[in-house]
Parts: sequence; C-alpha cells; structure tokens
Amino acid sequence: MQHQGNFRPASKKAIRLLRRLVAATAMAVLGLIPVGIRDAEALPSFARQTGQECAACHNGFPELTPYGRLFKLNGYTFTGGNSDLPPIAAMVYGSYTHTQAGQSGGAAPGYGSNNNLTLDQASLFWGGKIADNIGAFAQMTYDGVGKRLSWDNTDVRYANTTSLLGSELVFGLSLNNNPTVTDVWNTTPAWGYPWVASALSIGPAAATIVEGGFAGNVVGANIYAYWNRLIYAEAGVYKTLSNRSLTTLGVDPTGSSSIKNLAPYWRLAVEPKWGRSSWEAGLFGMAATMVPGRVSGFGTDHAVDVGIDTQYQFLADRDSISFQGSWITENQSLSASQVLGNASNGRDHLRSLHAKATYYYDQTYGATFGYFKYDGTSDANQYSAVSAANSPNSDGWIAELNYIPFNHGGPAFWPWLNMKLGLQYTWYDKLNGGTTNYDGAGHNASDANTLYLYSWFAF
Amino acid sequence: MIETNAPTGARAGLAVFGGMAIFTTLTLLASCATPSKEDAVVGTEHVCSSCHGVDGKSVSPTFPRLAGQQKAYLVVQLKAFRDHTRADPHAHTYMWGMAARLDDATIDGLAAFYASLPPAEGTPGDPADVAAGKKLFAEGDDAHNVPACGGCHGDQAQGGDVFPRLAGQHRDYIERQLAAFSSNARANQIMHDNMKDITPEEIHQLAAYLRSL
Repeated sequence: MQHQGNFRPASKKAIRLLRRLVAATAMAVLGLIPVGIRDAEALPSFARQTGQECAACHNGFPELTPYGRLFKLNGYTFTGGNSDLPPIAAMVYGSYTHTQAGQSGGAAPGYGSNNNLTLDQASLFWGGKIADNIGAFAQMTYDGVGKRLSWDNTDVRYANTTSLLGSELVFGLSLNNNPTVTDVWNTTPAWGYPWVASALSIGPAAATIVEGGFAGNVVGANIYAYWNRLIYAEAGVYKTLSNRSLTTLGVDPTGSSSIKNLAPYWRLAVEPKWGRSSWEAGLFGMAATMVPGRVSGFGTDHAVDVGIDTQYQFLADRDSISFQGSWITENQSLSASQVLGNASNGRDHLRSLHAKATYYYDQTYGATFGYFKYDGTSDANQYSAVSAANSPNSDGWIAELNYIPFNHGGPAFWPWLNMKLGLQYTWYDKLNGGTTNYDGAGHNASDANTLYLYSWFAF
Repeated sequence: MIETNAPTGARAGLAVFGGMAIFTTLTLLASCATPSKEDAVVGTEHVCSSCHGVDGKSVSPTFPRLAGQQKAYLVVQLKAFRDHTRADPHAHTYMWGMAARLDDATIDGLAAFYASLPPAEGTPGDPADVAAGKKLFAEGDDAHNVPACGGCHGDQAQGGDVFPRLAGQHRDYIERQLAAFSSNARANQIMHDNMKDITPEEIHQLAAYLRSL
C-alpha cells in the first residue's frame, strides 16, 4: 500500500487534470509529427530553411554556437533560405568497433566477439518551422544494433519574444520526450559528450536518472525564458507513457521504471559573452518517484538529481576552442527496490562527472579530449551482476579526431549533404568498481578499451 | 521517500499551473505589443539581432556593428548578399541565406532601422597604433598607394551614402574586410585598388584607429 501522506483532494484533481493535459499533449505531438530518434546533429533541413552553412549553428556539430542556441530557443523558426523542400532530413551512420579484448559470445546478438562493422543508426527527421512561432525537431531512428525502429529525440516548440525590464525576453513552451533534450548548452546529458559511442562495447553500468534514464519513455512539457541573452530558466514536468504507447512508438518498455505522478525538471543558467568568448554556468535537476520495473505493489523509489555545468566557447573566424563539463549528484531512496531485491541499501548515492575540451580548425578538423567518472555507494544487489566489488565506480578517458568536410556546404550535386568522420578511443582506468578482474569473471577494465571508427552522413 | 511522493507531484502540478499562467500572460503581452516597425522588418530584425545584437552593437567581431550605419550602404550590401555579388567567406556562411528571401521593401526597412540606432562608443586601443592609424586615415600612404580614407568615409569615419560608417567598428572585422579587399575576396574595384598594396601592419593600425572613434 502506498502512503498518501497529506495529499490534498484539490491537488489530486489538479494532477488528474494535468495527466489529461499531458496525455492530450502527447497525442497532439504524435499527430503533428509524422516521424520522429538519438543523437540528432546538424540537420540539413535546418540549413535549407535558414540558407546557412552548418557552421553557422554548429561548432563541429552537434555543439551549438551562440546563434545555434538562439535558433533553438526561438523555436527552430528562423528562416532565410530559398529552398522550398519540406523540412525533412535523413541520417545514416555506421562504424567499426575494436575492443582490447573480445567479448565471448559476441558483442551483441548477431555480432562477433570483436572487430565488428555495423550500421549504428538510420534516422528520419522533421526539423524546422511549422508555423510563425512553432517549430520542431523530431527524430525517428532505426537502431541497427538493437534492430528496432522507434521514436527518438523530439522537441516541439512554441516560442515568442517580448520585453522585460527594457531587455529582450525570449520565452516558450516545449513538448518533448527526454529530460535535457530541450537544453541549448552541450553540457547536459541529452546533447553532452561523447556525441556518439559504440553500441558494441562494454561501458559503465551506472548512470543517474537524468542521463537518459527516461529518454523516449516519457513526455514532458517545459516552459522556458531567456532574458537579455544572459539568464536562462526552464521548468518542466515529465510523465512516463504506458507500456502500450511505448510499444506503439517502438520503445521496448521491458525493465523500465515508471514515474509516479509527475517528475519535475528544472534548469538555470547564465551566459555572459565578450568578444569571441561565451561562458555558461548553470544548474539543473530532476526528481522522480518511480515504480521500479513497473512492478506495482512494492512501493516506490525516489531519486533526486542535481547537476552543475559549465561551458566555454571561443569562436574565431577559422578555428575554435570549447570546453564543457558537468557534475551530477544523485540521491536514491530505494524502498521498493529493496523489497524487490534489486538494491541492498535503503539509500544510495551516485555521482557522474564529464568534462571535455575540443579544438576545431576551419570548422573542419577537430580534436577532442575528455574525461568521465562515476562514483557512488557500493550496493550488492544493485551492482553485483557487473561488479565484484558491488561498486558503480568507473572512470576513463576519451580521445577523438574528427573530419567534417562539408561543414561549409556540401558538394555541388547535393549542397545540403553533411558528413562527419570520427576516430575515437576510450580507455578505462576503472570499470564497474575495479581495475583488474572487476566483474569476478577475470575481466580487466582495460579489456573494454574501445577503438571506434565511425562515418556519419546527413542529407 | 514514499511519504513525500504525493506532495512532490502536487507541488510539481501547481508549479506547472503557475508556469502556464506566466507563459500565457507573456504570450498575450507579446501579441498585444504594438510594433514600432513594419511587421516584416520586426520579424526579420529579430533574426538579425541574433548575431548583430539587439541594439545593433554586436559582441563578437565575427559580425559587424550595424548601429548608425549608413542606410544606403546597408541597402547595397543586403542586395549584394541576396544576389551573391558579395562573396567573401562570411557572406557565404551567414548572409547569403539570411538575405535570400528579403524583398526590397524589407531591405529598405531594415537599413533604415539600423541607420536610426545610436552608434557604438569607440574602444580605446594602443596609442601608437591609434595615432599611426589616424595619420593613415587622414593622409593615406603614397608608398603603398593608399589614398586618404576621409575623402569618402568622412572626417570622423562616419560614412556617407554608400560609403560605410567605420567609426566604432570591431577591429577584427575591419581587418578582415581590408584584407578581403586587398585579396579581392570581397570584390570592390575601388577598394581593391586602394588596398592592394597596403601592409598588414597598416591594416592593423587603421583598424585600431577606427575602433577607437
């Protein structure tokens, strides 16, 4: 039985109303968007709509420039280009993955133990203006490794501008399906680094809920305001979709947790700019009461995430430097998981740190170096399947080289073609609690070191 | 904790209702606001301001300051972006697309709007560079076939008609344009003739002086 506390009837009514509103919104979004994906990047349909090169909005995509941030905050509605094609784009990317040690039994069903070539994703996008103040970014993705077609990152916006205290106020409403997909700085999880990663290698098992824990499983309504191009505030609520809705959208709900009532999300940021520099510092957070595994009757878990993030960009005429970092702290109350035997402790903590620096020359040749770290409470039932030490602790490094030949416009036969080639190497100091024999099955953290070569096309 | 679940949801619900109320109010205010310019110009200028600044005083030197710029110059440039006759690299990256669908009336309205804004204040630079640039601006440099600039651009670099205002402009922007005239990347026969033999040091000095005005 769930304790209702001092839940007031009026509030109950409000929540029922809100549920209907969110459900109606979800239906509206689905009706509006014929197709809807993961890791969407420089969209050729946006370039067609604005008539601008990808480099106007992206500093080595998907990282956004100040102009790219305004384009998104203004609801993807800026126009200019003289193309009459509908705002539809497509993306395909494939890769080669080599891990330091092979994975016995195959890296995934249908794949060999090592040195795998694969189609990672094929996506269709709706990206652009719908009406004067309404625009959308919506992605539908075929996951080549999981062999599944599903909706992916979706963000439908209404945006407008007014004046507050003598300065510009851009404000809007977003209906979306992933906490932080609305964000315009590349520090928060949905659009944070690494932009892409191999689906055929082993990585850290732990992640906070705001790091994709609800991606594609929820619908959210967020309102936001950006004042004087300096201060940004956003607040939203998320609600999980039913198993049936998720199945319709191509998402496998197996094992996913549902949110009880609504989960609030919030974001604050400040971004001073001077010369060619822009610097952002912000906070974001999410709280969710969850029914783990959607198994009711055992109570609920509760998690609160608070993140701090920062970004610095220096955009010169030919080259650029950027830095992004985030540090998320999560407090977990695991009453239901404890009863279900999925957690040993009543309360756990988990922290996630990501930082990276990038240099781009001519928006074409890029080098990135990053670091990541997860650490938290040891918990046998949460982590024993992957960790002999029952620990979520992992840390490692990523080095990446990129080549984006068409960032200043594609070849004459198809000017809206964009392409990105990547050579990425990830190595682990520690994985799931250990350096040697971390899983009790004789595997070392270095076995998971991954060479990832990818080619990405959008058109 | 379970005990806090319902109130958390209720608080979130009320917060959203409050937010929606604010959102609706802002939308109404925005729709009721009486634009001081033609609608097409207002909408377009909002996009322009993303890079050129809400007051026409851009922050990044990638984008020129337009506040107080000569109207006739802006009209000529916007039409040159539209028909691709201005083809320096930044024109291609940003302005070809921006200008592609501007009609003559909107171009005229935008140019009048930016011309009406008070120009940016000057930014002091290295005194030696500023002094050398001032001399170059006033007298030219016969050794490098650079004529005096003030003849067309005005004694105070305020511009006139199709000759642009240069006073208070970003130094990097001026330097890039002068180099583009020199190399003919920005096609303009008069400015190419004036700049084809100028030295990088002189460009730097001129830009320092113009930014300081």
